[in-house]
Amino acid sequence: MAHLAPNKPSSGKESAGLRYPTNGKTIYHRPLNRSKTAELSQASFAYLFSEMVSYAQRKVTGIQDLEKRLNNQGHPIGLKLLDLLLIREPPRSQARPLNIITLLHFIKINLWQHLFGRQADRLEKSSDPEAQDEYMIIDNEPLVNAFISVPKEMSQLNCAAFVAGIIEGVCDGAAFPARVTAHTVGTKDEGEMWPGKTVFLVKFQPEVLEREALIGKA
Amino acid sequence: MTVFALIIINKAGGLIYHRTFHEGGLNKISTNDYLVLAGTFHGVHAITARLNPIPQQINRNSASSAGIMTRPEPPSGLEVLESENFRLQCFSTLTGIKFLLFTDTTQTNVDLTMRRVYEMYTDYVMKNPFYQLEMPVRCELFERKLTSYIREVNNR
Amino acid sequence: MVVYSFYIFDRHTECIYQKSWLPPPSIQTTTTSSSDNAKLVFGTVFSLRNMVRKLGGEDDAFISFRTAQYKLHYYETASSLRFVMLTDISTLSMRNVLHQIYINLWVEYVVKNPLSPVEHKGGEGVRNELFELGLDQFIRGLM
Repeated sequence: MAHLAPNKPSSGKESAGLRYPTNGKTIYHRPLNRSKTAELSQASFAYLFSEMVSYAQRKVTGIQDLEKRLNNQGHPIGLKLLDLLLIREPPRSQARPLNIITLLHFIKINLWQHLFGRQADRLEKSSDPEAQDEYMIIDNEPLVNAFISVPKEMSQLNCAAFVAGIIEGVCDGAAFPARVTAHTVGTKDEGEMWPGKTVFLVKFQPEVLEREALIGKA
Repeated sequence: MTVFALIIINKAGGLIYHRTFHEGGLNKISTNDYLVLAGTFHGVHAITARLNPIPQQINRNSASSAGIMTRPEPPSGLEVLESENFRLQCFSTLTGIKFLLFTDTTQTNVDLTMRRVYEMYTDYVMKNPFYQLEMPVRCELFERKLTSYIREVNNR
Repeated sequence: MVVYSFYIFDRHTECIYQKSWLPPPSIQTTTTSSSDNAKLVFGTVFSLRNMVRKLGGEDDAFISFRTAQYKLHYYETASSLRFVMLTDISTLSMRNVLHQIYINLWVEYVVKNPLSPVEHKGGEGVRNELFELGLDQFIRGLM
């Protein structure tokens, strides 16, 4: 792994674009738990996210394409967060989730707590017998949408597609390949109270359910 | 205490938002008239800053006597206008956007209301990726938060 | 309270009288001449007066505005004579004062003066001794 070691400043020329602190300690040298309880400003995140959405909007072909791009931005975060959150667990529960329910609970509780400082509001299984592979994680007011008003002509869009990407990353990383999409559900009676209510629809791949069934029998 | 209306003018003097909260406070005028009014006010605001009768010399002297060399504050434009039927408070941001709040003549603490309106603007307009700078404000969340806040102020 | 300056405009929008109580400006301070200044003042109050009427109704009247540096008071008579006064910002409404100037000084010393013309082109007839003296005393009495 010697070739991966960072160039020490003493080695003379620094590679263009990548800079290392003079003491040679990068962010990777810090203890993983140091920033466990750290919080960051919602305003700075809002501005960053606003620019991320604007960036994703460039040369976009449609709303689906835009959601796909936001999803792609979130996906690697999910993959990495799975590792980080598991390593921060107490040693006995450090194993990665092995069935769908523990995985979804891990997302609803641990992931949400880490990202948004609270749990997701509800977790549901699709009541449709045709869609037994679908689960729903419900957030009444997603933090990423706190300041976003979607224009009328794009009413299909939900910028929480980015969060859907993170969930998808976690599922993929835990070997539960899935497609996750974000949908706005402003139902009539609840619309007044939670106008930004969002459902994250998790649709697992058939092999996941197949495996689940086999484990259940054993 | 009643807030009648809010107008937001961009730095070029264009009307980017107008909203009436209370019927009967101000005359109903067309959107076109609002556009004209925004442009006129923008010009008048610039002139009122130039009309400052106090010579800048005085400010400079007082600043240097304190031992600190500071640039004197540039003269501000119109801040409060009073008429028999209403009161107009104008807040000009550092970026040149003007918020005009029309209230009844007895309204107190307009500064506080203005501050909240500005906060809402920075939150629900500036942090919205779909808002284009200098363009008319069409943000559902801004609309909703503003309405409920002004309703609260008007019922106080 | 401090009074900075005072203007009278006639119904032809002409400035027929102006007076400043500020110390004379030291060299190279003001770039605008006093007549330009009077035009700016008139333009401002005229625009604001129209705006106020548009929004507040025909019976509404523009009273005053203030910036962070000064306050401008406005009073319009039924004959479209306009009195404008610039003061410091802590001054309360000067509408009564302007009204007093109209009744006690303008009517007494300008309107009732047999030598004064009907139209005051270029300020003719306003700059008489009694009016000027009375105004100066009145304002200094306030300060």
